[in-house]
Amino acid sequence: MLTLNNVSAGYGGVDVLTNISLSVKEGENLCILGPNGCGKTTLVKAIAGLIPSKGTIQIDGKNISKMKRHEIASKIAVMSQISSVYFSYTVFETVLLGRYLHMKGNALKEPSFNDKLYTAECLKAVGMYELRDRQITTLSGGQLQRVYLARTLAQEPSIILLDEPTNHLDLKNQAELIDYLKEWSKIDGHTVIGVLHDINLAMRLADNVLVLDNGRTAALGKADEVITSNLLNKVYDMDVVGFMTDSLKRWESFQSQPYSQVTKLRKIK
Amino acid sequence: MKLRAKAIISICMCIIVLLFGIGIGSIYVPPLDILNIILNKIFSTPLPSHIPSTSVSILWNLRFPRALLAFLVGGALAVSGTVMQSVLKNPLASSYTLGVSSGASVGAGIVIITGFNIPLLGMFTLPLVGLTCGLLTVFLAVSFTSRVDKNMENNTIILVGMVFSLFINAVLTLMTAMSKEHLEQIALWQMGSFALKEWANVFVLLPIVLLGLLLLMRYSKELDIMTFGEEQARSIGVDIQKIKWLLLGLSAALTGSAISFVGVIGFIDLIAPHVVRKIFGSSHKIVIPMSMLFGGAFMIIADLVARTIVSPSELPVGSITALIGAPFFVYVYFSRRKAV
Repeated sequence: MLTLNNVSAGYGGVDVLTNISLSVKEGENLCILGPNGCGKTTLVKAIAGLIPSKGTIQIDGKNISKMKRHEIASKIAVMSQISSVYFSYTVFETVLLGRYLHMKGNALKEPSFNDKLYTAECLKAVGMYELRDRQITTLSGGQLQRVYLARTLAQEPSIILLDEPTNHLDLKNQAELIDYLKEWSKIDGHTVIGVLHDINLAMRLADNVLVLDNGRTAALGKADEVITSNLLNKVYDMDVVGFMTDSLKRWESFQSQPYSQVTKLRKIK
Repeated sequence: MKLRAKAIISICMCIIVLLFGIGIGSIYVPPLDILNIILNKIFSTPLPSHIPSTSVSILWNLRFPRALLAFLVGGALAVSGTVMQSVLKNPLASSYTLGVSSGASVGAGIVIITGFNIPLLGMFTLPLVGLTCGLLTVFLAVSFTSRVDKNMENNTIILVGMVFSLFINAVLTLMTAMSKEHLEQIALWQMGSFALKEWANVFVLLPIVLLGLLLLMRYSKELDIMTFGEEQARSIGVDIQKIKWLLLGLSAALTGSAISFVGVIGFIDLIAPHVVRKIFGSSHKIVIPMSMLFGGAFMIIADLVARTIVSPSELPVGSITALIGAPFFVYVYFSRRKAV
């Protein structure tokens, strides 16, 4: 479905990514991991054709450099990191914009019943339907993130690219989002490619993992085969496993305390 | 209140403003008399005997074309401002940011200083040369931007536009410094005025503004998407490079056409879209036509103030819009900073 062959990309003539090759089949999910500045976002932008790249990127056998913008958008939708909102639209209007390629007729025509229905379904899927008439400038970061996800879904793509989608979400919403995406990818061979900082969430979503280090592939393959303590320690330049084990121990000791003691601790905090 | 109701109220308010704009002046003509005069002129209905012929003459030959021209110019500037702000994702942007006014001013300066006259165009020489120079400046600025930044990022466009604007302004300053006898005339043109405008100006500008309005409204959906940023717009499927060129060109042409008739008038393109978005939300399907109405109405009011406040003298309308607009600009900027 998606193939990258020796892809290099960057900004202002300087390559951030070097010779990335990978292949993602229908229904497979890929998570991109790596420290800040290793080229994760650049890779997402290159796959979506948002920045020029060297090498070849093919979707269903077609080179994206030869595809028109609307052709790429009909296959790939991108949910970027949320940025400032300068002009306010309602939640429903915002998600409806994702139907751009599906809406026929002139700009002044009312959206069709189907487009409205699909928009409502996407809003329900991310749990934002009740807030459909709210202005997006009044939403929290997490709510806005979910609205943008709904807009991405409204595009009806076969591949969704996510750039740190759980940034503004609390624990419950993070888990729900990842589970929803996993479920979505099982329908009609959809694919999710996501940049995630949280290794646990990445393992929860991914079939395959790409670990980047300084713009190059440090590891690529099945999540449970690729992720090793040595690799993580090397790429993140710290004792990742030690850090996680330490966190887990602390959590376990917290769990073993009697409930009254935990409540007291919380009050003190 | 529903959008439809708000739109109907706005249209009614706009008609009332237009009637006041026509009726108020050295001679006051009541709204009913204005309607009778309009009906008489268009459908040759009999005129009530109490309306003196001088009122008819003043109203039909002076105030009516003046108010209509103010409406068209204000509307064109506001629509252009709306589009520029959405395309550049900046609530403080306008066509002036790209150097339209500086270019048009240089064009006007050349005509005023040299007395250049295109035989068949006569009094329309100045507007045509002004428009051409204004558009040429924008074309150069956008072309230069596309050379230095293939993605045509908004910040690059704004920066290049401002540099071009400053450069062209320097050329104008040099021109006026070298031709001091035309200093007053050029300075007055740069302040904007609707004085002594005739029906011919309205007839030339009307189709341009209507065409610009309709073309820009066709791109309402793209404009909505572009307000979320270029990357998001491209990933939704908007062909940014092509559409950006088109929208910047169309709105610059709209501003250029408007100011080439009356001189540089600022801030309407900032105030009207902001007020409209506050009332109607951000959907361009409604914001563009409402900006036309509000911009037109604001301009009629500004012109009314300009010609009545120190009557029988007249103030440049550009100074009135700037007096109201500059504090408004500050308000928009700081309220936005608070929001961020």
